Amino acid sequence: MAVRPYWKGYLKLSLVTCPVQMMPATSESEKVRFHTLNRETQNRVVSHYVDSVTGKEVKDEDEVKGYQRGENDYIMLEDEELENVALESTKTIDISTFTPRDSVEWIWLDTPYYLSPNDPVGQEAFSVIRDAMEAQDMVGISRLVISRRERAVMLEPRGKGIVLWTLRYGDEVRDEDTYFAGIDEDETADSDMMPLVQQLIKKQTQHWNPKMVIDPVQDRLLDIIADKKKAMKKPAKAKPSASSKPAPSNVINIMDALKKSVAAESRSSK
Amino acid sequence: MVAPRANWKGFIKFGEVACPVALYTAASSSERIAFNTLNRKTGNRVKREFVDSETGDPVERDEQVKGYEIENGQYVILEPDEVAAAVPDSDKTLKIDAFIPCNEIDDVYFDKPYYLAPDKMGTDAFVLLRDGMKTAKVAAIAHTVLFRRVRTVLIRPHGKGLIATTLNFDYEVRSSEEAFEELPDLKIEGEMLELAEHIIGTKKGSFDASTFDDRYEAAVAELVKAKIEGRSLPKKKTPPVSKQSDLLQALRESAGIGGKAASKPAAANANKSAVRKKAARPAATRAKQSAAPTRRAG
Repeated sequence: MAVRPYWKGYLKLSLVTCPVQMMPATSESEKVRFHTLNRETQNRVVSHYVDSVTGKEVKDEDEVKGYQRGENDYIMLEDEELENVALESTKTIDISTFTPRDSVEWIWLDTPYYLSPNDPVGQEAFSVIRDAMEAQDMVGISRLVISRRERAVMLEPRGKGIVLWTLRYGDEVRDEDTYFAGIDEDETADSDMMPLVQQLIKKQTQHWNPKMVIDPVQDRLLDIIADKKKAMKKPAKAKPSASSKPAPSNVINIMDALKKSVAAESRSSK
Repeated sequence: MVAPRANWKGFIKFGEVACPVALYTAASSSERIAFNTLNRKTGNRVKREFVDSETGDPVERDEQVKGYEIENGQYVILEPDEVAAAVPDSDKTLKIDAFIPCNEIDDVYFDKPYYLAPDKMGTDAFVLLRDGMKTAKVAAIAHTVLFRRVRTVLIRPHGKGLIATTLNFDYEVRSSEEAFEELPDLKIEGEMLELAEHIIGTKKGSFDASTFDDRYEAAVAELVKAKIEGRSLPKKKTPPVSKQSDLLQALRESAGIGGKAASKPAAANANKSAVRKKAARPAATRAKQSAAPTRRAG
């Protein structure tokens, strides 16, 4: 669980400031981890950086960021210099606004991070901010520079910590009206069918469970690998797994289909 | 108006009811400032090369294959078509497996949102599902093959339509319990909590995405300009960190009722605060000096 913090800085509410750290709540990691190989030699493939002019390998410590000024004209920027960029939001999450949790629609949520105190000295201040938001059922809104962009962020108490969401910019969310134009403003559900669909929903309602987000493909890959491993010892025939394709029933009468659905659910749940 | 192009077309199915729908990208990512990586010694750009770890020879893209290490440097090679074959054929159907109460949804799993709208005529079933979920305050969990990957999708009512959000898989999400497990169980009560709640009350507002713009690129341009002119921008100061013993006072001053006596509670607090060295002391005094009742404009 020793994950290196993705970002370190300060959380600030008015005159209260505490050191915090942040790490991504999600990762790109795959369950089945592959390496890149050279097909011919079956050796691992590694990447390195070479100078585009001399072709010579460039060591990590010789790599530096370049800001393009013109064609083949770059200004070198060291990380320490970039730290001094004139924005407080590179280092400090200064909570400017609080708003009810429900008022920030899900569509604005971009990427989640976990925010926690970075030093015991700040634990109490961190907890004060967290617990006050919790007590008021509010989230905090602030700004933060993260991966080369200054983002609006939302802070939401979660257990002993805080979830920090980057929020999308206004022009990143497309106008829903364009897509929902075909739906009649006044059209509402048929009142005869509503009780049936409510029944169906009730019967199929479950508690949230992480099992709902299991990846079947990763398990299949492991099966394929296991088969190949066996085949490496003794040649065996490959067996393609047939996947059944249930064609969507072409429903003409929604009412009948709903009744059938509810009946089926009743049977299955006795 | 030009009809937007769908990213996916198929059916949504709940129980025995199916209706044709389409998915449209709801959010895109805007550009961010791009840096190039240079070789500090020559000022030239660097480029990435893939080489064989043993022979050192460059390996072209199409000579690179995926290998799974089974034991002691032995690999099982999987060709792209074999990996692709692990993904089941698409039946073009968002099949609803379950509904879950909206308040139980763990949003940390959210990946990308898509507008889900009825395709072609017949919105009856679509509207029925939408209003049914709205009334029951639930969202739907569905599975389907999207863009050649098996995805779990969370579907919920949004205005006149539905939004389908792809969810990250279990192994892609760190649990918050785990992430926060080492934090102490500190519950704040009494005056400190009241003060903080009061401060929140003074900063009530709403989130308006249109008021936020990205100032980073302009700030970097400014930094570059300074560098070209031989100036260096002032080093950023470390913000004064509130010491535990000064926390109550800082809260009082933030709430605008500071000034007088950090009386008993502060003292009571002081003895439980472990003494930390470093910037804590000068920082705290600085916090007091700047404790004017006015708020600094952000």
